[in-house]
Amino acid sequence: MMKRAKALFLGLLSPSSLLLAGSVSAESATRQLNMPRGVTEVSQAAYDIHMIMIWICTVIGVLVFGFMFYVMYAHRKSRGVTAANFHENLVVEILWTIIPALILIVMAVPATTALLKVYDTGNPDIDIKVTGYQWKWQYEYIGEGVKFMSELRTSQDEIYGRAPKGEHYLREVTQPLVIPTNKKVRFLITGNDVIHSWWVPDFGVKRDAVPGLFTAAWAKTDQPGTYVGECTELCGLGHAFMPVVVEVKEEAEYEEWLAGKKEEAALYASTIGKQWTFDELMVKGEEVYGRSCAGCHQANGEGIAGVFPALKDSPIALGPAEGHIGILIEGVAGSSMQSFAEQLSEVEIAAVVHYERNAWGNDVGDIVQPIDVLNFKQSQ
Amino acid sequence: MAHGPSQNFFSRWLFSTNHKDIGTLYLWFSFAMFLLGGFFAMVIRAELFQPGMQLIKPEFFVQMTTMHGLVMVFGAIMPAFVGLANWMIPMMIGAPDMALPRMNNLSFWILPFAFTMLTATLFMEGGGPNFGWTFYAPLSTTYAPDTVNYFIFGVHMMGASSIMGSINIIATVMNMRAPGMTYMKMPLFVWTWVITAFLLVAVMPVLAGAVTMMLMDINFGTSFFDAAGGGDPVLFQHVFWFFGHPEVYIIILPAFGVVSQIIPTFSRKPLFGYSSMVYATASIAFLSFIVWAHHMFTVGMPIAGELYFMYATM
Repeated sequence: MMKRAKALFLGLLSPSSLLLAGSVSAESATRQLNMPRGVTEVSQAAYDIHMIMIWICTVIGVLVFGFMFYVMYAHRKSRGVTAANFHENLVVEILWTIIPALILIVMAVPATTALLKVYDTGNPDIDIKVTGYQWKWQYEYIGEGVKFMSELRTSQDEIYGRAPKGEHYLREVTQPLVIPTNKKVRFLITGNDVIHSWWVPDFGVKRDAVPGLFTAAWAKTDQPGTYVGECTELCGLGHAFMPVVVEVKEEAEYEEWLAGKKEEAALYASTIGKQWTFDELMVKGEEVYGRSCAGCHQANGEGIAGVFPALKDSPIALGPAEGHIGILIEGVAGSSMQSFAEQLSEVEIAAVVHYERNAWGNDVGDIVQPIDVLNFKQSQ
Repeated sequence: MAHGPSQNFFSRWLFSTNHKDIGTLYLWFSFAMFLLGGFFAMVIRAELFQPGMQLIKPEFFVQMTTMHGLVMVFGAIMPAFVGLANWMIPMMIGAPDMALPRMNNLSFWILPFAFTMLTATLFMEGGGPNFGWTFYAPLSTTYAPDTVNYFIFGVHMMGASSIMGSINIIATVMNMRAPGMTYMKMPLFVWTWVITAFLLVAVMPVLAGAVTMMLMDINFGTSFFDAAGGGDPVLFQHVFWFFGHPEVYIIILPAFGVVSQIIPTFSRKPLFGYSSMVYATASIAFLSFIVWAHHMFTVGMPIAGELYFMYATM
């Protein structure tokens, strides 16, 4: 406790001390009060302006409050001072209008330069589409055929205090976004359902993910490492549980990773026709359900009355498999049940549909195979 | 007929047209809402006392944050200043009462009903509003619980109450100043309230427009805020903040007025630069209409818009 208080105090007093002390680990960033200087041109420009402004404010604050304190102390009534009754002074009033105006103009210059940098999204080396979902991020490497979901990895047990909290509690994901050093990476950001906001403080990037709209941001850094951010637009129940994690790798390492990802995608495409057993699907389905469905429909399948319908004993889960698959592929218009066609693979959809039909006392007993899902998609 | 207020408790407080009684009602209502909103805040802080989930579930937590914001802004702060205005303005300008005493009564008595309805949603199926006090679409439309309709009706009622209260203050100050009480002799609290009242009359209808568009999107198949139907979620934010930024000044200007009365009184000297304070307050009010999008810097506006709103804000 004392240690944390001291760290906070240090962070407050001398914002650069933590940075000078060594490399910025994710841990120190969480305990630091001042904004991080970050690792990109944009974040450093923002940091520099921030510091200029803070110092200007500090100087003005000390002068004004110091003067006020002096006046109140030196001219207090108990010393027998009587109030002077002047109440207009044109020169003073003009002065204290013009001086702040000049300070503002001085501040506007670096602010404009920095803002132009933020918007300099042209000529990228790599384009990555970032899509906000309730409550996870999807990253698509445009032109590479690589696309994946990045979801919270912290377990429900840790969140609910049934297990000790790990070192990266709520700041860890299933698959981080990976980008190379020394390349200009452009993020094309959009939302799938509600508005989210993609924030990586060390990159100086915070952009809203608005459904139906694309916004752009960019980053280029020479410092490999892991950089963590959050969703910064209230997006519903899971808002606190969709961290952004970006890994910056050396270029060669990145190429290797990307090749691995492409191979994975190819391998997956070739195994989609595999016949799964009842139990394999239940295991896989429970995992997918916990990740993608339990947030609303709850782990026990009972939903939340009036908001999220129960799946246990639901006519859809007990009805024909085709209708059940259809709900996942198409979503339910006008409700928060979104389409999962882009979020989950055919295998995952098959497994989770199978699981929902055969868990919590639902006992349809049929087997839903990935190929059924693929056939459904193709018949659309 | 006897003078003074009715001796019957109910007829005195329910049917009152006395500016001081209504001011008292406003202040007590505001205090009650302050305790309620404060209670919501306590629930939030209790849950956040330790990391992880201890006391309440996420669906209740977001209802608490939303209700805390709504109750504090619309239920505690705004009625508190209307209460002060009711008490002080007639006395400060030498008027016997407010210009429209029956409307004064109505504008108060709308509020308890609006807030009862808003708070009652917490006990309904689906829970209360859970989309934050800024209720950004589509979280507050497509993805909202059904009780959002009560919230919308509640906001309409609060808006009607505020507009009536403001018209009353403007009418009182314009028509009922004592002989010799020229505009530039009015106490600064009266000035800040007149300016606030004009802000309220201008922006509360904008808020009403925003929630009406939500109502249409939710119930009548329009797509104001849905890109899939040709609308734009960002439109909501523009409309909301066109109300929301002046709202900041609606809340702060009367407080500036209070400070400008108290400090000169206790330092035993006249206010320094009275006339420039009046002009400055009016300029702030005007500027508050043209800087709204600085609440939306991360939404991805074009660079020209971003620069304009930055300069205008500075």
